[in-house]
Amino acid sequence: MSIMSYNGAAIMAMKGKECVAIAADRRFGIQAQTINTQFDKIFEMGPKLYVGLPGLATDVQTVAQRLKFRLNLYELKENRNIKPKTFLSMVSNLLYSRRFGPYFVEPVIAGLDPKTSEPFIASLDLIGCPMITEDFVVSGTCSEQMYGMCETLYKPDQEPDDLFETISQCLLNAVDRDAVSGWGGVVYIIEKDKVTKRILKGRMD
Amino acid sequence: MEVLNNRGVEDYQTAGPKQSYFSPYSFNGGSILAVAGEDFAVIASDSRLSEGFSIHTRDQPKTYQLTQNTVVGACGFHGDVLTLIKVLKARIKMYLHEHNKDMSSTAVAAMLSTILYYRRFFPYYVYNIVAGIDDEGKGCVFSFDPVGSYEREPYRAGGSASSMLQPLMDNQVGFKNLPKQARVPLSKEEVVKKVRDGFISAAERDIYTGDEVVVNIITKDGVEVERFPLRKD
Amino acid sequence: MSERYSFSLTTFSPSGKLVQIEYALAAVAAGAPSVGIKATNGVVLATEKKQKSVLYDDSSIHKIELITKNIGMVYSGMGPDYRVLVKNARKLAQQYFLQYQEQIPTSQLVQRVANVMQEFTQSGGVRPFGVSLLMAGWDEDEERPYLYQCDPSGAYFAWKATAMGKNFVNGKTFLEKRYSDNLELEDAVHTAILTLKESFEGQMTEDNIEIGICNQDGFKRLSTAEVKDYLASVQ
Repeated sequence: MSIMSYNGAAIMAMKGKECVAIAADRRFGIQAQTINTQFDKIFEMGPKLYVGLPGLATDVQTVAQRLKFRLNLYELKENRNIKPKTFLSMVSNLLYSRRFGPYFVEPVIAGLDPKTSEPFIASLDLIGCPMITEDFVVSGTCSEQMYGMCETLYKPDQEPDDLFETISQCLLNAVDRDAVSGWGGVVYIIEKDKVTKRILKGRMD
Repeated sequence: MEVLNNRGVEDYQTAGPKQSYFSPYSFNGGSILAVAGEDFAVIASDSRLSEGFSIHTRDQPKTYQLTQNTVVGACGFHGDVLTLIKVLKARIKMYLHEHNKDMSSTAVAAMLSTILYYRRFFPYYVYNIVAGIDDEGKGCVFSFDPVGSYEREPYRAGGSASSMLQPLMDNQVGFKNLPKQARVPLSKEEVVKKVRDGFISAAERDIYTGDEVVVNIITKDGVEVERFPLRKD
Repeated sequence: MSERYSFSLTTFSPSGKLVQIEYALAAVAAGAPSVGIKATNGVVLATEKKQKSVLYDDSSIHKIELITKNIGMVYSGMGPDYRVLVKNARKLAQQYFLQYQEQIPTSQLVQRVANVMQEFTQSGGVRPFGVSLLMAGWDEDEERPYLYQCDPSGAYFAWKATAMGKNFVNGKTFLEKRYSDNLELEDAVHTAILTLKESFEGQMTEDNIEIGICNQDGFKRLSTAEVKDYLASVQ
């Protein structure tokens, strides 16, 4: 069995009008056995910058800590907030530095530019190959299901409330067809002057 | 992840002992999707037939009309698909001659299950979905695994893009994760639109789905066929 | 076996001074003068480039160097030491780009070059650099110009305008009188030339000075023809 689907996860991000959304499921399991149903897979990397880390849970937490470490040093050294695109390079660098013994995570980044508030979403593979998109990104054990949902339900330039509705439906219906992700979800809607975190209840089984 | 093996990188293998294989199966892609309505059923498939990174034809729909109101969607290994359909049609004709009536959709489904299980240890590599009208005049959909396990369902996606289509249908046709007031039965036109939208989305991401979607609308009066274009790349 | 132990030459004197650094600063103060002026829409660097003999081919050696497309550098002091720092600075800038896929901000480059200079005051087997640097940069993010000076000790300063090298005290006094906060780049180039002229011995020509300007289009060293035009308008 693949290491990437040992614990199970589903994460996606979407662009809206002057806002971005990032969502994840909350399950942590060991293969078919569910261990925890309030597990964090999305991490705050700045006031308007979030990273979602699906994959092997131990690497999820290690990578989150190492990224925060690099980010703190960057922001102290440069005395400014990091731009999402620069953060993408930082993640890419960290992952590629383990090219031949990778961290088993495929991150998703969502945020607004600290100065211009330009929406930004991107994803990377486990060795740091970056991909920036204009609509949505998905990553995790049910990526096919998420693609099916997002490809149909996604509309560009949605207002924050509509974006929340769309990303929630995409996540919930996708994880319901994956045995190793689910148990509700969490959605962050990132706007210029506020971030809203909502917990979703879905099929709790 | 499986790029690395013990003899170097794929495509650049070092010399070693060689072994030849014959595989009786290949995979030719294609997706099917069926939805049962109040007094109708809709079953659709794409028209692409591929193998690996090449496309054999852009005009091979994978739905086959078996009786006046029964259509089966079949995809997987196209060689097995053709054989299976041939057997099915022959058995349905034998039934017609013996009983002097068309086989019902439910009977076709039951027979298909036994035909598939008969090959339990050398199966037809085919994913089947049967759609039709049941004895009460209601739309019906039956889904199968390759060895004959089957089940009647309100809707089902099969084939290479099934993992993209199925959650979408859960949401749009099964009204999953939606408030109760959203649950109103869908008309024929609404179902056709949702099926078509699903295929358009699937064709965006699945290389084995594309070219055209062929939608069969089954009512007690027979089968109507509609075609819509899909991505051709 | 003597090289197995290598101690820093820069050691404290009983009065708490690092005399090696003071000597380095003396080397800078004896070097050819250079000035830098920050304007509202850019920065100018200017320096004297006098050769000891008319036989030198002065068209192929330069004191003003490009570090990134937005940052340029000039020095007062020892030429060979400068080239080491230019090489270092370019490498640091590209390392930053490799890591972040983004041009290094001027402040970051200055910090990192200053760090290199500081290491040469504390490491074994080396001596401090005999140069002070002027770094001019345009910050793409903040859309504003920057002018920094970097000394052999590793100390660095952000200036509106400054002068280094021979006669730097007079140069700075001159700049204090002439500088204003709403200076435009074109005027700043004139002021820079005039500052050099204060202490210039002999005739100033397009061949014995060098000018670099930096604005939102990036940093560039002026061609002799362009310098000639500026000189003509200053006369």
